[in-house]
Amino acid sequence: MAERLANRLKERRTELGLTQAELAERVGVTRKTVNTVENGIFTPSATLAIKLSQALGLNVEQLFWIER
Amino acid sequence: MESVAQRAERLTAKRARALPALAVIYFAQQASFFTAYTQPHASTDIAHFKIGAWVFLSIAMLVALVTKGFWFAPREVRDLANDETSRANRSTAMSAAYLVSTAAAIVLYVTQALAPLTVLEAIHIIVSSGLGVGLLIFGMLERKAMRG
Repeated sequence: MAERLANRLKERRTELGLTQAELAERVGVTRKTVNTVENGIFTPSATLAIKLSQALGLNVEQLFWIER
Repeated sequence: MESVAQRAERLTAKRARALPALAVIYFAQQASFFTAYTQPHASTDIAHFKIGAWVFLSIAMLVALVTKGFWFAPREVRDLANDETSRANRSTAMSAAYLVSTAAAIVLYVTQALAPLTVLEAIHIIVSSGLGVGLLIFGMLERKAMRG
């Protein structure tokens, strides 16, 4: 069965009033990377997933989950 | 003043636009080379110039594909412009380039009885197809990643 890494990155980022560029700057990547992770095109490394969750004030499991 | 992130963003957008265009120019050069190519190993000044131009362009394309690029930008800008997504896209493009080069080599090996080629011609086709496809895929993946 196909699995994919779903996330609530956009929802949380919007709640905090951050743009993709601002979030990208906080975690040390480009806006392009935030964009691809948000849209599920790119699966982030564990390091980036942790950085993103810290920047958005959530646990990794609250931000990312596996969808079957 | 432009921040590191803004500069990296601007450079990656520029790269995403330039790479597919470079790939098209590269393929066009190969088409032009083989259209005018009538005499294998012709040792004329024009033939030498064309081969020299191909070698120069191929090395430039290879460098564009496998290195971070932006040599005149500060290190932090270069690192940021080559973050996780770019590294993943480059890796995908290089895998595709390798597969296309291998497939081209197999096709040339099988068809050489029907259409004999010199070693130079075969190398030219194998290298050009792999490099061109690699650049094209890297550029397309980068453009796709930029879209909101």
